[in-house]
Amino acid sequence: MRILVVDDSKAMRMIVVRTLHLAGYEDHEIVQAANGREAVAAISQAPPDLVLCDWNMPEMSGLELLTALRSAGWEVPFGFVTSEASPAMRDQALASGAMFLIAKPFTPEDFQEALDPVLA
Amino acid sequence: MTYIPSADDLEVITREVWSSFLDGDPSGLLAGGPGLDGDRVTGCVHLSGAYTGSIMLQCSAPAARDAAAALFSIQPGDVTASEVVDAIGELANMVGGNVKSMLPGPSLLSLPSVVHGQLSVPGAQVVREVAMLWRAEPLVVSLWQQAAQAA
Repeated sequence: MRILVVDDSKAMRMIVVRTLHLAGYEDHEIVQAANGREAVAAISQAPPDLVLCDWNMPEMSGLELLTALRSAGWEVPFGFVTSEASPAMRDQALASGAMFLIAKPFTPEDFQEALDPVLA
Repeated sequence: MTYIPSADDLEVITREVWSSFLDGDPSGLLAGGPGLDGDRVTGCVHLSGAYTGSIMLQCSAPAARDAAAALFSIQPGDVTASEVVDAIGELANMVGGNVKSMLPGPSLLSLPSVVHGQLSVPGAQVVREVAMLWRAEPLVVSLWQQAAQAA
C-alpha cells in the first residue's frame, strides 16, 4: 500500500510519518508532498491508496486539492490531518469527499482508528 | 455572551501539543515563569471573521532551537534557521487551530508567520496570555483581539 502525506511543514510531515510507523503502518510505502500542486503531480505519477493531507497550505489548500481530485474523477481515499477540527470543518471535509479528519495533535491510536478501515 | 478561551485553556492546549510531539510528558512544561525579555522567536497565526485577532506563541531562542530539534529528531546543534521557522510556525498553527475551535465562528485561519524577535499586531490587544517554562526557558502563548471587536 502507498500512502501520500501532504503538508507544507516538513516537521509535520516527519511527525505524520513517525506516527504512521508507531501505528503499525511501517511496511507501507510512504511518499511526501509539500503542497497541493506537488500532490497532484505525485498522484498523477503513481496513484496512492490513501492521501493524508493538511488543510491550510500555500499554493493549493487541502480542500482545493480534494476538490480538484474529485473533479478529475480520482476517487483515491482522502483524509485530512489538520489543526482545525470544528464540527463545521468536519462536515465540510466529509461533504467534499474526505473519509475522515484527524485533529492535530494526534496519537498513533487516532491514526489506527481512522486508517484501519481504509487500509485493512 | 461570546466565550473567549481562558488563559487556562491556552495552557491546556499548549500542554497537549507539547506532550504529543515534543516531550511525551505534560510535566515538561511548567506553569509560570518570568516571561520573555531577551532574544526570542515568535510564531503567529491570524484569525479573520466572527473573531478577528491573532494567536501568538513566543519563546526564547534556545527554546525555539530545542523545539525544532525535538520535532525534527535531530541534535539542537544541527538545527538550521529554516527548521526553526518551520517548527515554530507549525506549533503556532497547532495551538492556533485548537484555540480557533473554541472561538465563535466562522473565521479563517491564516498560514503561520514566524519572526526572530517581537511581533505586534496593529489595532489589536492581548485578551488572554499564559507564561510557561520549558526546559527552564520561557514560553508565552497569547490571544489577541482587534480593538474594534474587543470594545
